[in-house]
Amino acid sequence: MHKKFEKIFSNSIKGITFFSVMILICIIIFLIKESVVIFDEISLLDFIFGDKWNPVRNPPNISIFPMILGTLYVSFVAMTIALPIGVGAAIFLTSVVNEKMRKMIKPSIDLLAGIPSVIYGLIGLLVLVKFFEIHFDFSSGESVLVGGILLAIMVLPYIISTCDESMIKIAKRYKMASDGLGISKWHMIRYLILPASKKSILAGIILALARAMGETMAVMMVIGNSPIFPKLLGKTQTIPALIALEMGGAQVDSLHYHALFAAGLVLMGILFVVNMLFYYIKKNIDY
Amino acid sequence: MDHIIETKDLSIYFDQKKILDKINIKIKENKITAIIGPSGCGKSTFIKSLNKMVHEEKNATIDGEILLHGKNINGMEKEIVREKIGMVFQNPMPFPLSIYDNMIYAPIYYGIKDKEKLGNIVKQKLIIAGLYDEVKNNMKMQATKLSGGQQQRLCIARALTVEPEILLLDEPCSALDVKNTANIEEMLKKLSHQYTIVIVTHNLAQAKRIAQYTAFILNGEIIEYDETKKLFENPQDERTKQYIEGIFG
Amino acid sequence: MKRTNKHLGIKLWSILSGSILIFLVLYMNIYIFSKGKEGLSIDFLMDMPKGFPLGTDGGIFPAIIGSIYFTSIACFFAGMIAIATAIYLNFYCTNKRIYGGIHMVIQSTAGIPSIVLGLFGYTFLVVHLNFGISLLSGGMVLGIMIFPFIEVKVEKAFQEISKELIYASYALGISKAYTFFKIILPICFGEIISAIALAGGFAMGAVAPIIFTGGVLYAPEPKGIFSPAMALPYHLYILIGEGISIENAYKTAAVLLVLLLVLNSFSIFIGLFRKVE
Repeated sequence: MHKKFEKIFSNSIKGITFFSVMILICIIIFLIKESVVIFDEISLLDFIFGDKWNPVRNPPNISIFPMILGTLYVSFVAMTIALPIGVGAAIFLTSVVNEKMRKMIKPSIDLLAGIPSVIYGLIGLLVLVKFFEIHFDFSSGESVLVGGILLAIMVLPYIISTCDESMIKIAKRYKMASDGLGISKWHMIRYLILPASKKSILAGIILALARAMGETMAVMMVIGNSPIFPKLLGKTQTIPALIALEMGGAQVDSLHYHALFAAGLVLMGILFVVNMLFYYIKKNIDY
Repeated sequence: MDHIIETKDLSIYFDQKKILDKINIKIKENKITAIIGPSGCGKSTFIKSLNKMVHEEKNATIDGEILLHGKNINGMEKEIVREKIGMVFQNPMPFPLSIYDNMIYAPIYYGIKDKEKLGNIVKQKLIIAGLYDEVKNNMKMQATKLSGGQQQRLCIARALTVEPEILLLDEPCSALDVKNTANIEEMLKKLSHQYTIVIVTHNLAQAKRIAQYTAFILNGEIIEYDETKKLFENPQDERTKQYIEGIFG
Repeated sequence: MKRTNKHLGIKLWSILSGSILIFLVLYMNIYIFSKGKEGLSIDFLMDMPKGFPLGTDGGIFPAIIGSIYFTSIACFFAGMIAIATAIYLNFYCTNKRIYGGIHMVIQSTAGIPSIVLGLFGYTFLVVHLNFGISLLSGGMVLGIMIFPFIEVKVEKAFQEISKELIYASYALGISKAYTFFKIILPICFGEIISAIALAGGFAMGAVAPIIFTGGVLYAPEPKGIFSPAMALPYHLYILIGEGISIENAYKTAAVLLVLLLVLNSFSIFIGLFRKVE
C-alpha cells in the first residue's frame, strides 16, 4: 500500500514540477517568439536607439529609446533619493533604537512593502503631484521627479532590509572586540560597519533598481506618459507604462502588438542583467 | 557462510570526486565491526552506502556491488534494504513526537495496528536499549525533552522496531558524555548476539573496547581489515601503525 | 567637546532617515484610512457600482468578491506548483544540474516584470488557449507572479529541518511520501500557510498582471472561472485614472488595505503561535 502511495506521490510531484518549469520556460520562449517578428521590419539597433514612437502612423516609427531613457531616468532619480535614506534608516535600526523598538519598526517596513502600487499611485497623484503644482507653480506636476520620489518610497524597504540584515550580523560579530578596545559605538559604525556592509548596500541598491524598473502602475499614474526624451521636471514614459497603456488598443498580430512585445523583451533583457549582477554580488558577500 | 554483507569493488563518487575506491570487505554476522580512519576518509560514506542512504545525496555515483546474503542490493528497493539494515546517526534525532509515538512510527507504517502488539514492541525494544525504566511513566512526553544520551538510546531502540538484521551506527557517541557512551557501548555488546553491528568511530579506544573486527580506511581505501586485537597489536601496514599510534588523524 | 561631536554628521543622518521612514509608514496608512473612512458604509461594501460614469455612485461589492476570487485562484495555483516544486527540489532531485537549472528558471521568472507577465497571459491564455478574459486567466498570471516567492519560502522552510531527522525516517525503510506527511509537513505547515498568505497579499494588490487577462471595468459577481471579474486595485485605478470619483477611490483603497491586513495577520498570527509553542 505504501509502495503504491509513494509511487503516486512521487510521480505527481515530478509531474507538477515538470509542468511548472515548462510554463516558465514557455513564457520566455513565447515572449521571444512574439517579439522577433518586429525585427523583420526594423533592426534591433534602430528599435533601441531610434528616437520616435508612433507605431500606428504610416509608415510607422517604432523605437523605444525615449522609453528606455525614461525608465532609466526615473529609476536613477529613485535610487539617488532612496540610497541615503535607506542606508541611514538601516543604521538607525541597527544602532540607534533598542531591541524593543527595532522589533516594532521592522514589521512596519514589511507593511510599507506590502502596500499595493495603485495605492502608491493614488498618493503620488493626489498628494505629490498636487504639492508640486501648488507650491512650485509647475504647469503640470506629473514628472520624472515625482515618479522618482514615489519609486524611492516604494523601494526603500528593499534597501533597508538588505542593509539591515548584514549590518546586524557585522555588529553582533564585532561588538565584543570593538567594545574591548574602548571604541565608541559611532566610531565603530563609521569605520567598521559601514565599510564592511559596502557589498550589501550595493546588493540592496541593485535589488531595488530591478524592482523600480519593473514597476508599472504607480509610475504610470504620476509621470504623464508622453513618449518624449525625459527631463527631470518634464513628463516621460517608462516601458512598463507603455505596455500597460497601449496593449489594450493594439490588434493581435499587428505591428504595434509585436512592437510592444519587443519592448517587454528589451525590458526583460535589462532586468536579467541587473538580476544576474545582484546574485553575483550577493554570492560574493563575505562578512 | 559466516558473513552477512559483502562489497565487491565498491566505488563512490560525489560529482567527479572519488570518495571510495574499490572497497572489498566481508562483514561477519552477529559481530561488531568498527570502521576507523581520519575524518574525511570516506568511512561515513561507506556505511551510508550499505543501506542506500548515499542515494539521497546529490550527484552521487555508485559503482560495484553490495551483496546482502549474497544478493545484490542494487536490484532491491531502497525501502526494503533499509528495513533489513537499520541506521543511527551521529546527532540524536528523535522525531518531534512523543516517546511512544517515536517508537510506534515505523511499526504502524509496516501495518501493525493492534494496540497490545504495539505496546509490546515499544516495551521490548526500550528494555533492550536500557531506556524503559527511565521513561516508562512518561511515554507521552515529547522525545525532544530527553537528555542527549537518552535521545540516542531512543533512536537505537526506534531503529530496532523494524527488526533489522544489521545495525549501522555513524559515530553514535560523538555528541555524548563518558557515562552515556559507556551505556551505549554496553548495550551494543548485548545487541551483537542478535544483530550484526557496524559502527563508525574515530574513538580508537571505543573500537578496541567493543569491536571484534576493525577496518581502517584512509583516503577512500581499506588499508587493513582484521580482528580488532590483531589490527591494534600487530598492524600489517605502516599507515595503520602510524594512525593507531596517533601520528596523524 | 570636539570629540563628542565627531560623529555628529552620521548621527544626524541616521536619525533623520529613521524619522523619515517612520513618518512614511505612518503617513501612508493614516492618510488612506482617514480619507477613506469618511462615508464608508455597509452600503458601499454591499452595493453594485452605479452612476454615470460608472463608479460615481453605489458600491464595490463585485470588486471585493472578484479580488477574493482572483487571490484564491492565484494562491491555489501558485501554492500547488510551488510546494510540489519545493518538495521535488528538496527531497527527490539528486542531480545537481537539474537542481541548478530549475533554480535558474525560477529566479529568472522572479525577475520578469508583472506587466510582461500580463502580456504573456493575454496572448497565451486569453487568445491562444481561448480562456478569454476571465478569473482563470487572471488568476493564473497572478499565480505565476507569486510562484517564485512561495517556492523560495517553502524551500527555505524545508531546508531548516535537519537532514538527519529526515534520513532517520528514511533509514527505517519508510517511504518519502509517508515521511513527508508524518514528519515534515507538521513541522512546516505554519510556514507554508504564512508564505501563501503573504504572497496572496501581493496578488491581491496587483493590477498590471490582470489588466488584459481578467479584470474588467464592470461585471457582476463572477458565475464561474471563465467569467471576467472586477478587482479592487483595478477598480481603484479606474476611479483615479479616469477621474471618476476621488472620494470613492479613497474608500476603495481603505477597503483594499483592510483586506491586505487581514491576509497578513494570518502570517503574523501563525508566527506568534509558533513562538508560543
